Amino acid sequence: MVLELAKPRPIWYIMFSTHHTDIGLLYMITSLAFLFMGGALAIAIRMELFYPGVQFIADSMTFNRMFTIHGTTMIFLFILPFASGVGNYFVPIIVRYKDMAYPKLNAIAFWMIPPAGALVWLSFADFGWYAQPPYSLISSPAPAADMWIFGLKILGVSSILGAINFIVTILKCKHPDLPLSKMPLLGWSFLSSSIIMIVAMPTFAAALLMLLMDRMGVTGFFNPAMGGDPIAYAHLFWFTFHPEVYVLVIPAIGMMYEIIPRFSRKPIFSQGSGMFAFIMLALVSFASWGHHMFATGMSFTEKTVFMIGTLAAVPASAMHVFNFLATMWGGRIKFATPMMWATGGIALFFAAGAGGVVNTAMPLDFITHDSYWVVGHFHLFVFGTIAFGSIGFLYYMFPYITGRMYHEKLGQVHFILSFVGAVMVFFTQHILGLFGMPRRVFDYPPIPEWIAMNQLAGVGAFLILAGSVIFLGNLIYSSGKGKDADMDDPFGLGGKYYYPYQAKTPHH
Amino acid sequence: MLSILVILPSVQYVFAAEEPGEYLDRRVEIWNLFFRMMTVAFVVGAVVSGTLIWLIWRFRESHPKAKPTSYEEKGVW
Repeated sequence: MVLELAKPRPIWYIMFSTHHTDIGLLYMITSLAFLFMGGALAIAIRMELFYPGVQFIADSMTFNRMFTIHGTTMIFLFILPFASGVGNYFVPIIVRYKDMAYPKLNAIAFWMIPPAGALVWLSFADFGWYAQPPYSLISSPAPAADMWIFGLKILGVSSILGAINFIVTILKCKHPDLPLSKMPLLGWSFLSSSIIMIVAMPTFAAALLMLLMDRMGVTGFFNPAMGGDPIAYAHLFWFTFHPEVYVLVIPAIGMMYEIIPRFSRKPIFSQGSGMFAFIMLALVSFASWGHHMFATGMSFTEKTVFMIGTLAAVPASAMHVFNFLATMWGGRIKFATPMMWATGGIALFFAAGAGGVVNTAMPLDFITHDSYWVVGHFHLFVFGTIAFGSIGFLYYMFPYITGRMYHEKLGQVHFILSFVGAVMVFFTQHILGLFGMPRRVFDYPPIPEWIAMNQLAGVGAFLILAGSVIFLGNLIYSSGKGKDADMDDPFGLGGKYYYPYQAKTPHH
Repeated sequence: MLSILVILPSVQYVFAAEEPGEYLDRRVEIWNLFFRMMTVAFVVGAVVSGTLIWLIWRFRESHPKAKPTSYEEKGVW
């Protein structure tokens, strides 16, 4: 327990601490702040699209800026830092070590995020979260684009430092009595996602550097006017960012592996299949980047290879889902707030995966490509699976962090609003895509079906907003005035678990 | 695994498709593959979703037939 609000420490004790739980707390508070900031942009986007025509956003350029910063914020400033926060809390506890392997490096990795976030937000760049050339080279105004590139460079370095720290902590600082095969699957999720990060991220770092030099006119790697190839950027980008999808989702699955057995009052059904599935996902994540680029003129054989490479992730993902279901089978499940979020996350993970199978089937990919289907699919993953796992885990950690319990009923209302909202927004966007609506549009023709579905999605977004307001209020109120938690068993589940061990970890 | 099993028989068409004149056949094969995959996906999806809903209903702690798991007696899981 690090932030016992009944016995507060000065804020700078936490800010300048190198202790893993303090840094974990900083990561999580920062990521939640960015979640609400990015969420505000999402609501603005949905409000603009509620009716055809111009509503309140001045022009299409401003709209482009909003979805660019929304996407960048949610991926780089919410999901990744939140996972790092959870990892900072739990990885040393899981491997039974006093701290992360490199505590100062850990603090440096965190403190890179606020300035990088400031660069991204102050830039308000307009070229989408993947800065696709040639637009990002020839049309995107400076210095916004350059600030965004620098922000992403810093975030990339931070992610790599964090990944190195996780890998070394797990492999070199693990207690000798704890074999890797017995390490909890949350630890395995951080090990596998960190390995993916180390392999994938340098490619994007190089691509960003090349993009920056192209923008300065020094080189022409991606500039057709100078003999460059924009498709090369797409390859470099997706070589990093398809594996990155797994970097985002694997920790969320690891969090579900903590919650589901705990609340089912049973051990996980198969530790071995969970480990195997994480390793498989790490491997096949590098075999599928081309499916984002089926429409770029690839040969039929290339497309088939990438289609099969993508489908290779299906068995591993299915192993996780079956592991969850088998764990719940025969249990006595307490549907407290964290378990509701985890269960909802499984359902939406499965739905998102089914949509992914459709995306990767190249004939249908040409129908869904660049349509709202893709928006719905991607968000079903990042919100329906990753955010659901993360928010559920935040509720789970809340008593361990604050020493107090959150308001259970409000947590459940938050879940119900978010689940219904997610279905209304993202399932509808799939259908909207099949009806032909392109993504990234500021305005659309008054086709009755498009209007109806955009309004349905808008109402769903407002439900999520209502849930988020309740969530924020619950967190703030319960942190200060919630009931004292029973630190040995805050959820009244019985049994013993390893978390109270952290209370014995001394600060330094 | 089911997806892989469905795909494997179709791979030969892909790699045999370097000669001219087979363009339409490849498209037919891939659409055929797609519809078979969708059939599998919808069947598996219905089974898994149904199982999840049933598990939530049957194994909730408030269910009349709910009983402590064997691990609860030991106190460790």
